[in-house]
Amino acid sequence: MEKQLIISVGREYGSGGHEIAEKLSQHYGIQLLDHNFLDEIAAKKNMNMDHLKELDEKYKNPLSSRTVRGFSSSPEENLLYLQFDYLRERADAGDSFVIVGRCSETILKQYDNMISIFILGDLDKRIERIMRLYHLTESQAVKKIREKDMNRRRYHNSFCVRKWGDCRNYDISINSSNLGIDGTAKLLTYYIDTRRQ
Amino acid sequence: MLAQIVAVMIFIAMFVLIVTEILERHVVSLICALLTIVFVFGLGMHSMTAIFETINLKSIFTIEFWYLSGEVSGGSAGINWETILFIFGMMVMVEGMARVGFFRWLCMRIAKLVNYQVIPLFITFMILSTILAMFIDSITVILFLAAVTIELSQLLKFNPIPMILSEIFCANLGGSATMCGDPPNIIIGTSLGYSFTDFVTNTGVIALVCLMAVLTYFYLIFRKELKSDTSNSVNYGNMPSPESTITDKKGFAVSCVIFAVAIILLVTHAQTGLTVSTIGCIVALATLVTSRKYAILLLKKVDYKTLLFFIGLFVVIGGLEQTGILEIMAAFIGKISGGNVMVMVAIIIWLSAIVSAFVDNIPFATTMIPIIKSLSAAYGVDLSMLSWTLAMGTDIGGSATPIGASANVVGVATASREGYVIKWGLYCKKMMPATVMAVLIAMLLIYFRYL
Repeated sequence: MEKQLIISVGREYGSGGHEIAEKLSQHYGIQLLDHNFLDEIAAKKNMNMDHLKELDEKYKNPLSSRTVRGFSSSPEENLLYLQFDYLRERADAGDSFVIVGRCSETILKQYDNMISIFILGDLDKRIERIMRLYHLTESQAVKKIREKDMNRRRYHNSFCVRKWGDCRNYDISINSSNLGIDGTAKLLTYYIDTRRQ
Repeated sequence: MLAQIVAVMIFIAMFVLIVTEILERHVVSLICALLTIVFVFGLGMHSMTAIFETINLKSIFTIEFWYLSGEVSGGSAGINWETILFIFGMMVMVEGMARVGFFRWLCMRIAKLVNYQVIPLFITFMILSTILAMFIDSITVILFLAAVTIELSQLLKFNPIPMILSEIFCANLGGSATMCGDPPNIIIGTSLGYSFTDFVTNTGVIALVCLMAVLTYFYLIFRKELKSDTSNSVNYGNMPSPESTITDKKGFAVSCVIFAVAIILLVTHAQTGLTVSTIGCIVALATLVTSRKYAILLLKKVDYKTLLFFIGLFVVIGGLEQTGILEIMAAFIGKISGGNVMVMVAIIIWLSAIVSAFVDNIPFATTMIPIIKSLSAAYGVDLSMLSWTLAMGTDIGGSATPIGASANVVGVATASREGYVIKWGLYCKKMMPATVMAVLIAMLLIYFRYL
């Protein structure tokens, strides 16, 4: 039986982190979990998928939520707990998967077979990529990157003690601008294979 | 003047930090308490007497703290140790009851009694929530009721959200009916010297009328949503039997006896002379002694953070009281109302309700107690009437938003974690009209009965 492999990928917007996660999932032949696993949660809990999508990777507003004895009134936080439970269940079941974002490097930290990666990129390269992918002007791309990164940072930091992008929180942090998407994925497979030996 | 400014600054900082949850609320209140002692009482007032009066340890060593031979009297200012001991005792008792499966058994027993029919279940669970919350904390009530509601909704195929929302409202309403139902009531009762009977015959009557109104309101708005999907026939034989929920039969019987004794002692405490601190100690000791090997586990489960939060809070409010800030605020309310009692009642009940809808009602109620005392003294208004007004406003107002009261947070979280997400919009759409209606009814009843 194949040894379990869980790869957690955190990423800056425009760094190609998601594409790299896809390449890693294809390389190892394991499932990629991003927003798609909300479908499974929705089906399991008989939930409205639109509700879930609205709340996915959103940070909680401290002024409109309150915590009492570990219970939170924040829908965003409660969805996150559902995702945490789902990921832990999968990990406990011995499944292998690549998980993108969702504080996975923190909540799956206790699993020995988990490797956490953070993909960053040079701002100019990220702007270039976002302009090309979404047909945006430079200023629009800069705005989108700032907005997305800020949301990811706030989302992550409102639920985790270690900060988003802090290299001490991940097994490996890598700038994808230097090696490109394929080169970065290749280097990461080398790192993952070495770790698994 | 400097002491007053510092006391207000500390109080505002405490509120902001509690609301933003940057630190846990007990840490915030204890830090602010320390700052009050050092900067307000020490550097500002140079008064060791104020410090000792606020810490109030000497009150524990008086006979009146444990036993009152005559009329029920008002507690002294500062840390209200009577409240702390009583809440501690009730927490131990409730943990003991939860351990043996009492609450789950009660919910399942009632579900069986109404033959698992959704609408009767909806009505009886609202009434159960109200009655339980009269004696035990609303967090525990909702924790169990919401969990059982979700379990039954999955078996009986109905949407549990309407039922959970109604249970939350009724838990808050039930809390307003008695002295021990909601922390603001315990603080009001022990600070101003009211008995359990005083509350039941005043706020209890108002809560009963409000309950009739909200039962009707929730039935009318939720009856369509609560239609069970009977196309898939439900096998009632698959329902968990009430007896199967009891984890320790002997412990269960003992817990029932202790709970009954607690209710009897509370109902008769004005006659027996036993104070709520004594009652708290009796039920805690009885629970711990009869739980034997589980005693340590029960003690570990007590929510000490809430008790520490209370201690810190009493010191910070003591700072406002000792520096005369609360008298200034009372004078301000008196001035706005022009000494008119009806306006005064309206201001207190709506202000309490609105503030409690967004922030913790405990600090607010604690702050308001010296204010209503001053108003009563300055304008000759009946203090008990103002107390019932304050209790109803703070207890009911908390139902309006998902963050207004602890029961709301626990109910919303329990539902959301099972996949039934309750967002602000949905919550407020259903609960705000009920809250406004109940506060209005309470205000009119106070006008009708006391003026």
